[in-house]
Parts: sequence; C-alpha cells; structure tokens
Amino acid sequence: MESQKTEDEKLQMFFDGELAPEEEAAVRRSLEGSPEGTAQLHEWEQLREAMKSVSEDWAGEIDSDALFARIESEITAPVIPIERPARQPAARAVPGGRERRVWGAVATGFAAAAAIFLAVVAWPDVAPQGDDRAVARGSEVLEVDFGSNTGTIFEVEGGAGESLAVVWIDDEEVGLP
Amino acid sequence: MSLIRHLLVIAVLFGASAASAQGSSLARSDRAAATSKVPAEVLVVLAKEEPGDVDPELKKLTALRRPPFNSFRSMKILSRSKLTLTPGKDALVSLPNGRRVKLTLLRVMPDGRYKVKAAINRPNKSDYLPLLQVVASAGDPFFVAGQTYQGGTLVVGVTVDPKKTAQ
Repeated sequence: MESQKTEDEKLQMFFDGELAPEEEAAVRRSLEGSPEGTAQLHEWEQLREAMKSVSEDWAGEIDSDALFARIESEITAPVIPIERPARQPAARAVPGGRERRVWGAVATGFAAAAAIFLAVVAWPDVAPQGDDRAVARGSEVLEVDFGSNTGTIFEVEGGAGESLAVVWIDDEEVGLP
Repeated sequence: MSLIRHLLVIAVLFGASAASAQGSSLARSDRAAATSKVPAEVLVVLAKEEPGDVDPELKKLTALRRPPFNSFRSMKILSRSKLTLTPGKDALVSLPNGRRVKLTLLRVMPDGRYKVKAAINRPNKSDYLPLLQVVASAGDPFFVAGQTYQGGTLVVGVTVDPKKTAQ
C-alpha cells in the first residue's frame, strides 16, 4: 500500500503526463472508479485545457518565467477545490432548476384550476335562488297597456320596506253579475 | 417539458370539468324552477272612503294604509283565491264585477323573481286592462286598483308564492 505522499506524487505526475502509459492507465481507472475521482479527473482536464488556452493566448506576451509561475500556481490551485465537496452542488444545479420549473408548473396549473373553480362557484350568487330574498324584493311594472282607459302606476312601500307596484285604472262601473 | 404540459392539461381539464358540472347543475335548477308550478293568491278587496271597518286580515298588509290607498276608510275582503301558476298557462280568477283576472307565469328571472303577465277584462273582451307585465319576488304582491264596484273601489292584490311572504 502506497503512502499518502507517494500517492500524491503519482497523481501529480499523472497530471503532468509524466507517468508511463501503464501507470497512467491504472491511475485513470482508479480515479474513474469513484465519483470523487471522476470529478477530480474532470477538473484536472478542465485545468489542463485552461492552461493550454492561456499558454496559446499569452505566448509571446509574457516572459516564460512569468508563464511558468502562473502555470505552477494554477497547478497547485486545483488541489484545494478537488478535495472540497463544495463544488458538487454546482453539478446538482440543473436538476434543482428542473424541480423548480416542475413545481412552478404544478402551482400554476392548480392556481388556474382554482381560479376557474372559484369563478364557477361564485356564479350561483346571481342565479335563481328560491330562498335568497335579499337579492331582489318587491314588485315592479315592466309593461302596461291601459287600453281605452287612463291609469297611473304607483309604488307603495311594503311592510319590509320593499317597493310594491300599484296599477290604478280609472273605470266606469260595469254591470253587476 | 412533457411533464409540465401534462400537468397544465390536467389542471385545465379539472377546472373545465368542474365548470361543466356546476353549469349543468345550474341549468338543471334553472329549468326546474322555470317549469315547476308556483302557487299564487289573488286577494280582492272592496275599499271605500266611507268610515268603516278594515278587515283584520288586512292590517298586516301595511301597503294598503299608504298612498294611494290611504284615502280609504274601510276595507272588506271579498275573496281570496288560491291558484297554481304554470309557465305558459293562463289561470283565471273571477271578480265580483263580472270581469276576470287572467294570470300567466312567464318565467323565473335570474334573480329569483317571477315574471307574470296579467290582464283584467270581461269575458271575450279586452276593454279594461289588456296587458300588464310585472316582476315580483316570492311573497311580495302587486296591486291593480280602480274598478268601481258597489260604491267602492276594487283593489286586487296578486301574490306569487305567498307562503314565502314576509309580511
């Protein structure tokens, strides 16, 4: 069993591409065997790409010593984030967003259903209600034809304050039965 | 995305089915109210300006003590006819002067009031009150007055669904 220091050195050499192909393959298999190792491997690959990009972009603009120093600093930098599980939530951000969208849709759907349901339930307030006398009380004339007579329409107050219709028609007495 | 669409469709279908169920329920109740028979009462009162008695049964009908009825000093109930109004069918009540009151329940209004057509004429005539249309709440009367009779005036009160009267 290798010591921690030896393991670190081997990983460092793996990162630097200094291991023999057989050893490199063994280290890669070992890393890919666990989620943490896979994440490490992914980060190193990203870092390697970043280094490659920086060196291509900055080649000629800075001196080699400064570039080497920057590379060294970036080589050492990932050691800390690799061991921190804090980067894991970033990988879970996508499903989290999906969950929010799904629950948002559920909430929106039920809100729409509730709105429709409440609108329908509220409808009977203006519908025929045999016992709902508070809606309209009293009586009123819609249309009247006095014929050849003259007449007047009155409104008289009922016992409960409601307005009651009175149609008064002038008349000559007709024959008794 | 497919899940979201399914949830929205379910929600809309839920709301629509609730609306449909409620709407059909309302339609049923509306039809039932419109097609059911409604009791009514026709009260015929002989009112005179001469001092006299006021029928005790009329004392609770406070409208008859207010203008234009307050000039009458005596009131006597001549008849109190109970009948049933059926939508579209005429109901007749004879008056003591030979005329007849014809009542027709036209419909139940959305607010629960009754739309009623009335006419008062001698048989086969249309010389007095050819047409009167009123809307009245259950238990609240409307009056037709002015026919002269035996030195007094006939006051005809029509109440639809009188059992629900609050007076």
